[in-house]
Amino acid sequence: MRNYQNMVFSTALRLTANQAEAEDISQEVFLKAYERFGELKESPTAGGWLKTVATNLSLNHLSRYRSRWNFFSEMFSPSDPEGELPFEVAAPDDFTAHLDRADSQALVEAALQKLPPAQRVPLVLYHLEGLSYEEIAAKLRVSLGKVKTDIFRAREALRRKLGARLSEMLNPA
Amino acid sequence: MIDMYSEHDKQLEQQVDRALKALPDLAAPSTLAPRVMAILAARRELPWYRRSWEFWPPAVKALSLAIMIGGFGALCFAAWQLTQAAGYTVALEELGQRFAWLVTAWKTVLVLASAIAVVVKQLGTPFIAACCLALGVGYAICVGLGTICVRLAMARTY
Repeated sequence: MRNYQNMVFSTALRLTANQAEAEDISQEVFLKAYERFGELKESPTAGGWLKTVATNLSLNHLSRYRSRWNFFSEMFSPSDPEGELPFEVAAPDDFTAHLDRADSQALVEAALQKLPPAQRVPLVLYHLEGLSYEEIAAKLRVSLGKVKTDIFRAREALRRKLGARLSEMLNPA
Repeated sequence: MIDMYSEHDKQLEQQVDRALKALPDLAAPSTLAPRVMAILAARRELPWYRRSWEFWPPAVKALSLAIMIGGFGALCFAAWQLTQAAGYTVALEELGQRFAWLVTAWKTVLVLASAIAVVVKQLGTPFIAACCLALGVGYAICVGLGTICVRLAMARTY
């Protein structure tokens, strides 16, 4: 369990953006894993199984507990690509030279978690879980066009907020 | 229409992809493992009949399955025997008499509905429109207040 707990927790946290919910989901994942302990203990695909279960449970959780009030929150959510995200980072020029890789990663992580769920979830599924646009549309039960637009907007939002950080992470000094 | 395939977008997709994939796993809370272990320990303490069926002893599982299948079969057989019995029609009629009040209640509802329809016709279209408008405004107010409450309650989520 200790080998996989960070991976499972990260998957849940990046999808839900909520520490307590992510911990509950991780707990459920490991309880499910325990029920199949016999199959999983020697399996080389145990990690993949845990990640898939964590992803599915997170998506179930999001649809179960948020669909009721999502309508209301979407009314005010900054889904407009030109809108401001509720996330404040100093202007890139202020601190470019002083950030090390860990700081940049922390900023990316924070920016990711501050994205509206409609953008964050498909972005995580695409880039971190390796799902195709079609698979994401099927999983989230939305149109293919919406998935593409939401991911596009999420990338733009990250670019606006992180600016030079993205390039810096890719080309560390 | 957003052009998803411009050079800028491709470059941005690659940058975001590499940046996200470079993120290390986040540290799970130190409480996670003890929580899971505590739940598993509590489950182990439970007697077999309080666990889910999947975890019952195999013999008990097989026995309960046999009882369920037997019970279902007996129920089907009994229902079939009942329809074959001579007193079936009589019993059905008796049952109908017992629930005759339902027919009366339904007729009352129909009479009431007719009376309401007559009243609505007498009131005229403007009055009905005003009622609908009032309902719409009331609903909009509910939605507005609900939105404010939800936003206040969930403010820290995002």
